[in-house]
Parts: sequence; structure tokens; C-alpha cells
Amino acid sequence: MMWLSSGFIFRRGTSAYHRLDPRVKLLVSVLMFVTTLLVRTLYELAAVLLFMIALSAFATVLRRVARTMAFTALFSAFIFALNFVFTRNIETSLLYAARFVAIVVSTSLFFITTSPDELEQVMKTFRLPRDVIFAFVTAVRFIPVMFLDTIQIMDAQKSRGLELEKGNLLRRVRNMIPILIPLVVNSVVRSGELAEAMESRAYGAVPRPTSLVEYRTSLADKAVATAAVVAFALVAYSFYFVIPAQIL
Amino acid sequence: MIELRDVTFVHQNGVKALDGVSLKIDAGETVAIVGENGAGKTTLVKHVTGLLKPASGTVLVDGEDTTLTSTAKLSRKVGVAFQNPDHQLFSESVEEEMAFGLRNFGFPPDLVEQRVTWGLELFGLGEYRKSSPLVLSGGEKKRLTLACILAWDPQVLILDEPTVGQDAIQKEKLAGTIRMLSASGKTVIVVSHDIEFLWPIQPRVVVMKAGRILGDGPASQIMRVKEMLDSARVAQPQLVDFYGRLASKPEAPFVDPLEARRWIEGVKPS
Repeated sequence: MMWLSSGFIFRRGTSAYHRLDPRVKLLVSVLMFVTTLLVRTLYELAAVLLFMIALSAFATVLRRVARTMAFTALFSAFIFALNFVFTRNIETSLLYAARFVAIVVSTSLFFITTSPDELEQVMKTFRLPRDVIFAFVTAVRFIPVMFLDTIQIMDAQKSRGLELEKGNLLRRVRNMIPILIPLVVNSVVRSGELAEAMESRAYGAVPRPTSLVEYRTSLADKAVATAAVVAFALVAYSFYFVIPAQIL
Repeated sequence: MIELRDVTFVHQNGVKALDGVSLKIDAGETVAIVGENGAGKTTLVKHVTGLLKPASGTVLVDGEDTTLTSTAKLSRKVGVAFQNPDHQLFSESVEEEMAFGLRNFGFPPDLVEQRVTWGLELFGLGEYRKSSPLVLSGGEKKRLTLACILAWDPQVLILDEPTVGQDAIQKEKLAGTIRMLSASGKTVIVVSHDIEFLWPIQPRVVVMKAGRILGDGPASQIMRVKEMLDSARVAQPQLVDFYGRLASKPEAPFVDPLEARRWIEGVKPS
């Protein structure tokens, strides 16, 4: 589980992509996301996926993106099966299944290269309410903690004779109760403690608190953003006007 | 009873948590594993419970290779009380919490009842029998987790930081319980930073640093090796430290601790 989860969690990196302004990284991810929605054939989608893989390699997060893809493949198989049952068309079913993988990879690429602090700054630029930003960023920060908690709880219950992998489906679901209750209780307790700790450190004392980091877009950021927008416009144009879908 | 042969374990992040650890613990021994955070203490005991499997080497519990058996089966022999009690409490009542493990092991209802009552009385939790375990204090939760493990009478008991959140009286009681378990032939492994708690129990002490065993022997000997303890970032028990300093002043007319302290600091008594 930890192996899979690490495909979604931010880890500090030193690549040029990591160093980009988080707003630019968000723009790139959004454009890739939209591109996956625009594609109409498997070939086009394969090209978009290949670009994402190349970008992941450039950002030195290819292995972790591969984990994201492996994890997403489980759901994607379900999407394929469901589509195939209703459409009886392998190509369409494959397209929907692969599109789901591409959508997740495009967002994952942003989250695994953007720290929660950077995420906070990105959200601030959209002038979202501070409480909403704080709640969202805190939730993101606590994902790895929750994973760690889950593993520790599973260890504790297995040490009390709980066999998670045994029995029929109903029993396996029931076996999750000793895992889920401590996990939920711990999370609720932790959120209460966090709220108290924040209030005791003057959270909400002033309407517009100052920020430690102020992002300034560099020339490289501007170049990447422009290149991304131009590339997206060209790709979108070529998908719809230059290469008719039926040719592919 | 427990044998680790040249055990190595590497975490997924590449950190070598155990580096060629070999250790043999006989039945009935009381062993304390000490060392700084990240020394590999908890990783070592997780190998004994079968929660972690060695990357190389062998772990044998009562002659059984832990790689060939499940943790659930091993836990019948090896009971472990983890550091954070909140990671295991989930039942509606304290008695249900205690009965959980017993039922998993298939104990008959009358024996479950008997063991629950015994455990709750032993740890002074009888009055909370029908209460939710989630409303207990930190120290009470810790005692409850210990009672839960003792309930099914495992041959080996592992206590991970048992004194966290316990007051002085409860620590004394806990030390008494460890002595009682030891006297009744149980193998007890205590992972702890609390040297002052361990010292009166006089266990065999295993000192760990960076996934290796630095020292292993009776507390009375190991706790005198200051250089090794310093290297492993383990504090010397105050009493050992005190007498160690006195030994360097043979002429000191020991009157009382304060007087002795003046001698240690080189100030002659007035």
C-alpha cells in the first residue's frame, strides 16, 4: 500500500520542473488535463500519455508516476469492463479507460512535484478564502500521515490475531472495522488538537496575515508557460482541423 | 526461544534499519532494547512479531521461521503492546476490547470472561469495564493495551515504550508486572528510552545504533560503559553516573548526596 501511495505524495526534488513556479506547473497540468479530454482516438491519447511520461522523466519522478499509473490501472480496468458491457466496442472502452489513467497522471504530476506550501500559494493567487485554503492544504499534508497511521493500526490489530486476508468478502469487510475506527477516531482527535494549536498560535487574529514566501515569476517560468499555451493551442488545432479523426 | 541470525532490513526509502543483526533471547529472559530514535529498535521487534520480514537472514521464534508463518499465528506466542494505544482501541467497551484478541484466537466464552476480569483487575481498570476505551486517559489506555496482550497469555511479551504517559506510581506497578512476568517464566522484551525505569528491573540490555547492536549484556555491566552509551545517545542511569563520578574521588568523605556533589565539583565542604 505504501508503495502505491508514494505515487501520489509530494517529495522534495531538485529537478528544473520542481523548481518551476507552482502556478506554471498548475497551468501545464491543467492543459494536459484538458488535452486528454479533447482527444478522440487512442493514437492521440497515446501521444499525450507519451508526452506526460517524457515530462515525468524530465522531472525525475517517472518511477512514482509509474506507480500512480499502476494504481489507476485497477480503476481503469473497471471502467473498461463497464464500457465494454454497454458499448461492445473495444476501442471506445480502451479510450475511456486510458483517458482516466491520463487524467490522473496529469493531476498527479502536479501534486507530486508541488509542496503543500506551494499549493497554498497557488490557491492564494485565486483569492480563495483563507480557511478553505488552510483546510485543503492541511488535508493534503496529512495524507502521508494517514497512510502511516493505517499501517501502524493494521500492524497493531494483526498482532492481536486479526487476519485481514482470510474469509469471504463479508468477513474481510468486517475485518476492516478494527482498522477504520481507530483511523477515524485518531483523525478526528488530531484535527481537534490541530485546531487548538492553530488558535493558540494566533490563527485568524488578523484578516490578512503576511506570507513568508512571495513567488515571483522568472523568465524561465514565463517561457515554459508560453510554450505550454502555444503547444496546447497547436495540438488542439491539429486534433480538430489538420488531422481528421477518421484518418487515424 | 527467539533467534535473529544476521538479519538485514532496508526500508522502502532506502534506509538500512537493521544491518546484520544477530541476537539470541532465551525463554524467561527479560531484555531491554535501548538506543536513540531510528536506531532500529522497533524494526527489530517487528521482525520478532513477523510484521516485517528480513531482506536477508533468518528470524526464528520458538523454532519457527517468521517468513513461513503469518503475524496472526505468531501473535499467539508473541504479544506486542505498541507505543501508541490509540492505534488499536476500537471496541464499544473496555471488556469488548480485551475480548477481541481472545476471540480471534478462539478462546471459549467462559475463559474469555475469566481472562478479561483477571486482566482488568491486574491493571486497575475494573471500574471502566463497561466504559468506552476511547474515553480513558493516556495512561489508562496504555495499561489496557497491555492487559489486552496479557489476556491470551503469550510466551513472549514485547512492550514498545511502555512508560510513555505513565505517572511514577504506574511506572512502579509496571516494573512490578514485568518482574512478575519474568518470575513466571515469560520472555519479556522492553523497548524503551526510559533508562531510570529499566535500571531497577536489571534486565539484559541490548544497545542499538544505526541498525547494529553496539553492546549486549547485563544492565549492571552495560550501563557502566559510558562511552558506548554516549555513542548510542543513551543516558546513563543517574545512580550509575553518580557512583561513577564518586569513584574518581576516593578521598571523598561521603556524607549525603549534596555533600558528595560538592566533592565531585571540586569544592571542599565547609
